[in-house]
Amino acid sequence: MKRIRLTPLFFRRIHKWVGLILGLQFLLWALSGSVMALLDKDKVGGHGGGMSHAHPLPAGDYAALAKLPNGEPIHGLVLRDLGARPVYEVHSPKGVQLVDATSGEQIRVDQNMAREIASMMNEAPIRSVSVLSKPNLEARDFTGPMWRVDFADDENSSAYVSLDTARFLIMRGDTWRTWDFFWMLHNMDYVNRKSFNHPLIIFVAFGTLWLSGTGFYLLFKSFSRADFRWLRRRRKPVVVTRAA
Amino acid sequence: MAIRWPLLVRRTHKWLALVVGVQALLWALTGMYMVAVHIDIIHGDHLVRSPVDKPFDLSQLAQPSRVVEAAPGASEIRLQRYFGAPVWRAETPDGPVLFEGATAQPLAKPTEAQVRALARQIYTGDGQIVSVKLLTDAPQEMQARKPPYWQIEFEGWNRPTLYLSPATGELISRRHALWRVFDFAWMLHIMDYDERTDVNNLLLRIATWTGFAMALVGAWLLIWSFPRRKRKKA
Repeated sequence: MKRIRLTPLFFRRIHKWVGLILGLQFLLWALSGSVMALLDKDKVGGHGGGMSHAHPLPAGDYAALAKLPNGEPIHGLVLRDLGARPVYEVHSPKGVQLVDATSGEQIRVDQNMAREIASMMNEAPIRSVSVLSKPNLEARDFTGPMWRVDFADDENSSAYVSLDTARFLIMRGDTWRTWDFFWMLHNMDYVNRKSFNHPLIIFVAFGTLWLSGTGFYLLFKSFSRADFRWLRRRRKPVVVTRAA
Repeated sequence: MAIRWPLLVRRTHKWLALVVGVQALLWALTGMYMVAVHIDIIHGDHLVRSPVDKPFDLSQLAQPSRVVEAAPGASEIRLQRYFGAPVWRAETPDGPVLFEGATAQPLAKPTEAQVRALARQIYTGDGQIVSVKLLTDAPQEMQARKPPYWQIEFEGWNRPTLYLSPATGELISRRHALWRVFDFAWMLHIMDYDERTDVNNLLLRIATWTGFAMALVGAWLLIWSFPRRKRKKA
């Protein structure tokens, strides 16, 4: 068997073979990274969730706790403002119920309410409203059924509103959609676009480490003094004074 | 004179590599770290217990209207637990305030001893508390979160640190060595050495496109790197 000798030639071979096999992903990483660096992060948005307008709760009478739906054990209770009307959010193992905090009546988050809530986040006219029983790719950070409210603006914004809690979840626009496509190329999770800790990416990242490691080493072997002659010629006076 | 493409392309590749070579290596190294250590570990999910999920007995509680009265301007009132007992948490313009569940009387802010006890309750590890400090200046690792907060550090190789709210004793954040390394790797990856958050900085934009050009030219070089026929011996 031939002994492996750690010569520049050997590293050059690794470099070109890894480059041949994984080079395409390296190229995609560089491209998607470049595009993500170009897309304005404020237009991409989405990070840190939605800011909701918090009105102060009006003082006065609220429906008594005894009037809340009983029968189910209550694991959580929130009194909050929903577009200038206070509501109770009642959490039980079965899910979340929304109750008008003044009358004690149950609230269904219907299309009109979804429109109203979405319009607080975007002044553009609404193009269409649809209901999702499960989050789609754009709303993948959330759970449960939700309304999708599409706006007629430059960004083709879509607002997502929870069908259980009537909370505004997130706004997505075309800049985000472009970003998300390149983020998918970057994290190589082509189905869910979410995880960057899967075996495929770990494998390719490990290979790429070899590609860039050998490439970095070869830099020292690929340049000779002759490559920098143009630089020295221009700086000649400096060199002379240093030598003197 | 005819252009000698292989030579020109090789030269371009190596000069571009000279410019971004260090950064490309850093991208590969930091990228490797970020994909290899699972993000849930980085977030420190394993360091903290989730709050107890037990049903509340509503008949023992003060009416929410009394809490709204006691906390004017509050935008949200939430039922939660504090040392096992039910409390109302009001989100007021001056920050969160706790009220006793049954009486709607405001609760005093947790003392240092109580903060220690809460931190012990939340932390899943066995290590002892090394230090407890009430911080008024934000350390780098708390990013944009506004102080003040309690910083509770536990012993251990990864220096687990919990941050608790001085008003309510709630967990605000948790940090440990692997998170700190990740944050440093992220800084190197996006080349924002001050805030570690600006993914649109000019340096990064120049470096990424230079890196892309280097990779593209490198791919071009592959054409000549695998000779199809062995050269005849001269």
